Amino acid sequence: MTEMKKEEKVYRQLESNKLLQQIMFQNMLMGHQASEENRLAWVTSGFPVEIPVAMDVGVSYPEQYGAIVGSQKVGPEVCGYAEDIGYSQELCSYARASIGSVENPDNSPMEGLPKPQALLAGNNICGTVLRWYDAISEQTGAPVFLFDTPPIEDEQPDHHKEYVRRGIERLVAFLGTTFNKTLTDERMQEVADLSSKALGLWTKSLTACKTSPSPLNCADRFLAMGPVVSMRGTELIIDFYQSLLDEVEMRVKEGLGAIRDEKIRLLWDNIPPWHSIFKFFNGLAKRGVVFPADTYTHAWSGKIEGDDLFGSVVSIYSNVYLNKGLNAKIDKMCKMIKDYNLDGFVMFSVRSCKRYSLGQLVSKEIVAERTGVPGVVIEGDMVDSRVYNEAQIQTRVDALLEMFM
Amino acid sequence: MSYEGVLEQSDSGLRELVEAGEEIIGYIYPHTPLELILAHGFTPSLMRAIPGITSGFEESLQTFACSYIRNLYNQRTNEQLPPISGLLFPGNTCDSLQNLTDIWKVRFSEDRVFRLTYPVTRYANDDSAEIYLTKELEILSSTIESTLDRPFTTDNYERAVSLIREFRLDAQFLYAARVVDPEVLSYTELARLVRSFLSAPVTSVGSEIHRVTLLVKEKLKSKGLLGIIDSILSGLQKKDLSKVNSFKPPSGPRLLVVGGMVEPQAIATIINGIDSVDDSILILDLLSFGFKSVFAPPINRSGNPFEEMAKSILAAPGEPTQEGLRYRMDFLKDLVKALHIDGLIICEQSFCDPDQFEAPSIEKAASAAGIRTVRIPLDPELSDRARIEVKIQTFLESLGIS
Repeated sequence: MTEMKKEEKVYRQLESNKLLQQIMFQNMLMGHQASEENRLAWVTSGFPVEIPVAMDVGVSYPEQYGAIVGSQKVGPEVCGYAEDIGYSQELCSYARASIGSVENPDNSPMEGLPKPQALLAGNNICGTVLRWYDAISEQTGAPVFLFDTPPIEDEQPDHHKEYVRRGIERLVAFLGTTFNKTLTDERMQEVADLSSKALGLWTKSLTACKTSPSPLNCADRFLAMGPVVSMRGTELIIDFYQSLLDEVEMRVKEGLGAIRDEKIRLLWDNIPPWHSIFKFFNGLAKRGVVFPADTYTHAWSGKIEGDDLFGSVVSIYSNVYLNKGLNAKIDKMCKMIKDYNLDGFVMFSVRSCKRYSLGQLVSKEIVAERTGVPGVVIEGDMVDSRVYNEAQIQTRVDALLEMFM
Repeated sequence: MSYEGVLEQSDSGLRELVEAGEEIIGYIYPHTPLELILAHGFTPSLMRAIPGITSGFEESLQTFACSYIRNLYNQRTNEQLPPISGLLFPGNTCDSLQNLTDIWKVRFSEDRVFRLTYPVTRYANDDSAEIYLTKELEILSSTIESTLDRPFTTDNYERAVSLIREFRLDAQFLYAARVVDPEVLSYTELARLVRSFLSAPVTSVGSEIHRVTLLVKEKLKSKGLLGIIDSILSGLQKKDLSKVNSFKPPSGPRLLVVGGMVEPQAIATIINGIDSVDDSILILDLLSFGFKSVFAPPINRSGNPFEEMAKSILAAPGEPTQEGLRYRMDFLKDLVKALHIDGLIICEQSFCDPDQFEAPSIEKAASAAGIRTVRIPLDPELSDRARIEVKIQTFLESLGIS
């Protein structure tokens, strides 16, 4: 009976999700242990985490915590704790969720993240992290290290590379002083190899979605990206990405899609609405809509390799999607639409995330013109459901889907 | 005078320049290398957000873009920017300005848009930021030359360094003077003078500021206050108020205005609009287009121009990209104590990350120093002016001022 019910769902669950849950739980325990041992750093998603990992510094991710707050549908409450102490509702909801959980851990999921001894911020994803981590520093007393990667317009010039490289050298010195740790070439190579291996497996799973039916949908990727975001460079995640890839390849081989009746293939742009992630994507799956590609989960793809590992770190972490100009974003969207054979695109205009969202109105026009496929912009927030108007979003998406009828 | 009238008055210098055929490069960020633009034979002019502009941003910007950039965009779509040869945007300072530049380049592809990407150097203790910014300035210079066919000349540069040095030293003195004797020069007048210079940094405006400075100096000399003013000036220049001589402030309330890219003249207009209050209660501002612009250190003329410009920019006070939060809050606490501040007006531009993230920390710092605060959300339109005035009036009453 249970099996039959499962089969009736329009959406195919991934078996590898069981392993995913285990390692994410293990990661949480490791974070607590590191905090107890006074060697925990909070890091931003675009930070070169391989370096603290290679120096035996534990890491926790406030952005990932924000996603948990969102998916548990307590964004308004936890963000509200930050608003109670003066942070505007107009500010990033990831920031408000973490500030709020530090302020009121007893009423926050998992009692908040474990207490950090350092805060490692990389501004290649946005400038907000600078202010956000300052606020956390004021609350916790942990010092901030800022890894500055000035945005890139075209090719990264030499003086730019040199400047970022000096930042890496300062990072190693900062971690050495703060945690009394050292970085060896052997360990850096080992972590870089593990990071590259995980990214290689992850990228293969992503590119497998070029086939039709797509073996993964958006929600699958948003969940499966967790380890590659937060545990890059560790042995722990390799098994998971191998089993995910095995499952994906099996689906491709057997012609099984992430959804049972794939009719329309769309591109997703931006962070997802964590509070409504299943409702939104599964709701569309019922109508035959799948999202084989998105701009967000593809952001973790650069491998640290070659003779000059720091040079590789400079290049990869400066060239992340959000650190490049509007033209690069437009080019990437157009390429994905072509490579993944997509029929259209949905851009989620996230009120919290100015770096990702401002420019979408312009890029929507250009991408539609260049590719000849239609797109729609919907507006809301990734964590704070108070500014997510479901009916309005539904109407806009319906209007897009009508174009395919 | 209405706010629009105030702005029109302080922009008269710019209008005269345009009428005389001078070529202008507009800029947006306070820490723009004015000397570099002048060295290329252009006049740099601060493009301010102004009220009363018809909306037009909706085609390209969402409503959660900060009110400042929406206003600039509106001005461009409604062709209300002054005639300019180019526009210089900052990079790596905030997400809204970063993305606006990209959008501008697409939407107004005929405009000559330049970008200077700043380093975020806090917590760095080496020369990497200086080397980086020096190179960025060199690249900007060669881009201006190749785009607008005007080379950087040493003569122009040296004149610019002298002009801006004199402006900064005069304006810094006036800021310090008002701390001791706020009635010696109204805040409105000081804001107008600074604004006039930032709109049109030319000799005539610099000379006007110098004349006012000499008059103020004369008045304060006769009152025997120059010694304490020098002490305060030195403290503000060195970002260290621990050695400021103690002084007895004149009777009356003493308020400090803090915030980011908020127009000082807007604040003065609001205060003067409140019944039975005038702007002598405003002792000092820590705003981007006020204190933070004025107290950037003048350039050393004898060094390499690009290196010296980089050093000056990186040493500007109070910028979140250059100084850590704790440092700035410690400075604030020292400042309110040393300068006998009674209350803080915290300005927050809507959807401005830097303003809105900093406000709670400022409240905490003020509270730790035993100072009351009021938070004023505002936009360049002053669309909520009546409510803002009531809020400030209530705040003043809570301080025993009415």
